[in-house]
Amino acid sequence: MSDKETPDSPRQGELSRRDLLVKAGAVGAGAIAAGSLAGGAKAATKRSFATPKIRRGGRLIWGLEGDPVHVAPFGAIPTSNMWGKEHTYDSLVEWDRNLNLKPALAEKWQIVSKTEILWTLKKGIKFHNGKEVTSDDVKYSVNLMLNPPLPGSVATTPQIPAIAGIDVVSKYVFRMRLKQPDARVFGVFAWGRYTPIVPEGLYDQINVARAGIGTGPYKMVGFNPNDRVELLRNENYWKPGQPYMDAITLKTLTDEQSRVAALRAGAIDGATLSVDVARSLAGDSNLVVLKGPNAGFRELQMTIKPGESKPWHDARVRLAVNFALNRKEMIDKVYSGDAKYTGHVPPGYGPWPLTDAELKAKYVKFDLPAAKKLMADAGLSKGFSVTMTTIAQQDYPLISAVVQSQLKQINIDVNLVAQEIGTFAALNGPGKFDWDVTGRGMRGDVDGYMAEFHPASSSFQFWYPQYKNIKAFRAIGNGRIQLDPAKRLPIYRTAQTAVFETPPQIPLVAITKFQVVRKRVQNMYVNFNDFNTGLREVWLSE
Amino acid sequence: MGGYILRRIGFAIPTLIGVSIGIFLMIRLLPGDIIDIMFSGDLTASEEVKDQAREQLGLSGSFPEQYWRWVSNIAHGEFGFSLRNQEPVSDIIFRALPITLELTFLALLIAVTVGVPLGVLSAVKRDSAHDYVSRVAGLVGVSIPSFWLATLLLLFTSRVFGWVPPLNYVSPFEDPLANLSQFILPAIAISLFTMAIVMRMVRATMLEVLGQDYVRTARAKGVDRRTVVSKHALRNALIPVVTVVGFEVGVLIGGAAIVEIIFGLPGVGYTLLQAVFNRDYPVIQAITLMIAFTFIFVNLLVDILYGVLDPRISQA
Repeated sequence: MSDKETPDSPRQGELSRRDLLVKAGAVGAGAIAAGSLAGGAKAATKRSFATPKIRRGGRLIWGLEGDPVHVAPFGAIPTSNMWGKEHTYDSLVEWDRNLNLKPALAEKWQIVSKTEILWTLKKGIKFHNGKEVTSDDVKYSVNLMLNPPLPGSVATTPQIPAIAGIDVVSKYVFRMRLKQPDARVFGVFAWGRYTPIVPEGLYDQINVARAGIGTGPYKMVGFNPNDRVELLRNENYWKPGQPYMDAITLKTLTDEQSRVAALRAGAIDGATLSVDVARSLAGDSNLVVLKGPNAGFRELQMTIKPGESKPWHDARVRLAVNFALNRKEMIDKVYSGDAKYTGHVPPGYGPWPLTDAELKAKYVKFDLPAAKKLMADAGLSKGFSVTMTTIAQQDYPLISAVVQSQLKQINIDVNLVAQEIGTFAALNGPGKFDWDVTGRGMRGDVDGYMAEFHPASSSFQFWYPQYKNIKAFRAIGNGRIQLDPAKRLPIYRTAQTAVFETPPQIPLVAITKFQVVRKRVQNMYVNFNDFNTGLREVWLSE
Repeated sequence: MGGYILRRIGFAIPTLIGVSIGIFLMIRLLPGDIIDIMFSGDLTASEEVKDQAREQLGLSGSFPEQYWRWVSNIAHGEFGFSLRNQEPVSDIIFRALPITLELTFLALLIAVTVGVPLGVLSAVKRDSAHDYVSRVAGLVGVSIPSFWLATLLLLFTSRVFGWVPPLNYVSPFEDPLANLSQFILPAIAISLFTMAIVMRMVRATMLEVLGQDYVRTARAKGVDRRTVVSKHALRNALIPVVTVVGFEVGVLIGGAAIVEIIFGLPGVGYTLLQAVFNRDYPVIQAITLMIAFTFIFVNLLVDILYGVLDPRISQA
């Protein structure tokens, strides 16, 4: 057994972010800007890995922890929907394992003006039905992204950048018009969750809830809800030589112990598991435990609403709470050491987050004396009582219990209430809570993490309409419309540090994601986002 | 007998109407509807967008309007469409039903074929070692939760034999052996409780019946012990057992949910549970109504069987 971080350097034959930026230069400054919008890479280490001889063929069975529900390409809400369809569809651009932006169906792009991007498609890419990808398909797909039909939902449209429309210039060239400057375009398309490219007329041809036609490495040949997705190798995949396997079965096994039993018995080749369960498999010589940082960080959220006079409306109290929380203890107690300090942008999300050293030394430093002094300054040295809700599953009850225990040190009496996910969602969205411990997930662009601290977002109006932080507001507003990545970096740094001065949400920890695979599974990596993108490049040694 | 059956059916109709109203209201009174769940990860969606989604899913209108739409559609044989994937609910049920029916049937079969003989043996050999072992086993059987036993069985077979039941559903008509290997462990897991109940019930009623005058008379007439037990005592002892088995059908269908999840069997219980998490109203309503109908139907059968086992009941 090995317990290893998945490699973070590009594989041979792939472009590093630096390479890409150099190449992008050939298509104009706009492309360079675009190349960095997705968030760029972690500092890519230039380790080299010997390329083993790749064996082709075989069927991999992957245990999914949730049912995809449906596999419609547009407007899908559940993360698990993407697990079912992610190998069938591609988008204009994509991320590699380090979140470097790479061309996918698009060959190149040029930012003509702040509200106009000219894209050129690669020639000869074919959908699974044999039809070639053209600008008309992109136009059709973008229209559906903006107005997703059932079983998708308009709930996803706020995630889509402000696209006004697509003008077809030629078979392979199209113009994307934006309603306003929107830096999220490239990241959201690279994320792919809401932005696949499908053949024109797809919704009239098949039942998109149960089948799919895309350009991805695997064709979808069957989907039974609550059961499995069957995928077959796409012989005409546009990446030369890929995919390596003949077929993938995605079997829904929501019970974690069932996934463990199936892994041990060899009935499945891999699955996502919680930290303790993954570690319990350390003694099994047939298994390899993979781990990697994940976009889903945990946070303590507070409401700041008009007409209320709650102790935490005083910024000093919120800061006191921030300093009274001992993240190291949380990481050790709840995650057995496998979690990280985090700000409002999780570590691993390209160059955007504050550094680990900064967080530990300043922004989320455990400083009990300072916390007590802040409480005293606010006239609350005797503390107060508050109800804190959380989700009654995964690690949420545990980390909430640690928060509850730690805040006793500054005399805050936390009444902890764990709620079923539907109940929690119903109360969290409209801000019907005082405090809650919740989580965040992947975002297509750094703006997705910071937008909620800006008065223009509806969640801001629900959660903390009384919150004032002009410095942060200005930075977040400018960040979204600034297309130059070099200029965006300091803007979002300012936004993050400004929010930390009077945080309405207090980041707790960034979790680590664990996936366990059988020894025969090669080249798998734990993706930073919530998907199993690594499966696209996997091959089986036996 | 015909009038008796008609009377029982007459009782079933208002029960079903009551159940339908209860189901409809209860799931809507849960905090959080599908819209809340759909938008839970979205921090930027406005109320207008949410209302648009509500309209898109046909969730607009008052509760009485929505209820009337639902029952009217059922009267036309339409159970509606899943809110999550727009699949016809009838398709979802027909796909899941064979799995749960087979699981329930197998579990009942195991429970009865093992529980009844054990109960008889325990009563006939009262206070013997066999009796004590059966009673302790019965106590253990009613105490062990099926989900725990299911997990234990799965982990045991995977660790010791490196084997788990096949993950993908195989129809008994395609490959009976593969099907049996897939269902045997989950069926054992959910049958244990019913088996223990049946065993204890048979033992208790057999003890009572064996002490009756007519049994003593039969023995005094020289009828051999085996015939007395199987023909005279067991038939009468089975009447309360039939009642229990009837109730257990409902319990097994409901209890199968967790076991179906553990073994990755996409049956009715599994589907219902997922629908509850997703607040998929049409699916929840249809499946719950179907389970209620099954429960009522099986109890109707039990009542009819009563009449067959004891003609005095239907005459009364």
